[in-house]
Amino acid sequence: MNNEKFSVFSGLWKDNPILCSLMVISPVIVCGDTLRNAEAIIYAFSAITLFSVTIASFLPKNLPYAVRIIINALVASLVYIPVKRAAQEFFPDIIPRIGIYFPLLAVNSIIILQTEAKFFKMKKPRMIASTVFYILGFDAVIAFISVVREIFGHGTLNEKVISTNAVISGLGQPFGGFIFLGLLCGLYRWLRHGKQLSGGDKNVSDN
Amino acid sequence: MFLITELIAFLCANLILTRALGTSTMFIAAGSRKNLIGTAAVITVFTTIGSAFAYIIDSILPQSLDDIRLLLYVAATGLIYVGLLFILKKFSGKNFVKYRRYVHISAFNCAVMGTIFTVSGTAENMGFFGYISAGLEAGAGFVAASLILTAAYRRLNSKRVPESFRGFPAMLVYLGIISMALYALK
Repeated sequence: MNNEKFSVFSGLWKDNPILCSLMVISPVIVCGDTLRNAEAIIYAFSAITLFSVTIASFLPKNLPYAVRIIINALVASLVYIPVKRAAQEFFPDIIPRIGIYFPLLAVNSIIILQTEAKFFKMKKPRMIASTVFYILGFDAVIAFISVVREIFGHGTLNEKVISTNAVISGLGQPFGGFIFLGLLCGLYRWLRHGKQLSGGDKNVSDN
Repeated sequence: MFLITELIAFLCANLILTRALGTSTMFIAAGSRKNLIGTAAVITVFTTIGSAFAYIIDSILPQSLDDIRLLLYVAATGLIYVGLLFILKKFSGKNFVKYRRYVHISAFNCAVMGTIFTVSGTAENMGFFGYISAGLEAGAGFVAASLILTAAYRRLNSKRVPESFRGFPAMLVYLGIISMALYALK
């Protein structure tokens, strides 16, 4: 981590968990095809990540790395229980649709790995603020991807029909998710590094 | 013809290409042959033993306590994690520091946890060995998907690819195209 350049807002754009680090991309690729799915994922991801990171930050720092990782995962799995029960009230029809990706949100790399690499090296108020911006960064990207994929992949928005002329049905499929996310990552890098990259990446060998 | 049909069936059941489970781990693995072998081997161990644990948990756990299934799967994965590190430390000697990163990378990721959940959902009536073979197959699927990516890795990272799309973005699009082909084959 570059302490000088790292700010609490990094997760929102500069170090966006999806576009920059490709973290938690499975639910985005497979389930991020409708706004309703995205709402349930945003709710679960935000609640589980924020509470898990905050609770796990109270663990003693002198524990071995593997033990801390396991405890982080166990804490997230415990937080998952009430979050799932609440989700069944608010999104009863969405949870079965998301399927295995719902519990997988609890073992996401932000909770399991980023906590040790970044968050736990900060003071608590800064850590919580940084976690919130990482969560917002994830939420914004999945919401955007879901809206675009729903409109152009299904011809609906929030499950209401809005267009039937410009539907690319593949966009609603996992392969469409892979391709769309790949294009979005490229666009993000072009927006962020366009000028810097124009000199060429000397570390990458040509074939 | 039989082999081709079996190969297509094997690829169509691939958890990375059809369900995007473990994609980012695969990007790390596909970077070099050494990483690929190390990560794939450890992930296969995790998915196979994890599936065996999943069978035991599924057999014992009543439906009413379904909410704690994740907690039990995580505890089981944690046991495998510690067990693997212990075995590695005992047998790899000085190379422990070099090899333990494969265990750290593989322990709690979508490739492993997603496989355990998928196996739990699909191998329900297959018994203990059904779970284990499904776990093993998922590990083999990870190897297959990594090999597909490794084949194009250097080209996708070459200077011929526009700089903004070089690396991860190009690899995602490439996987999308492979996934689309498999979708058509299904």
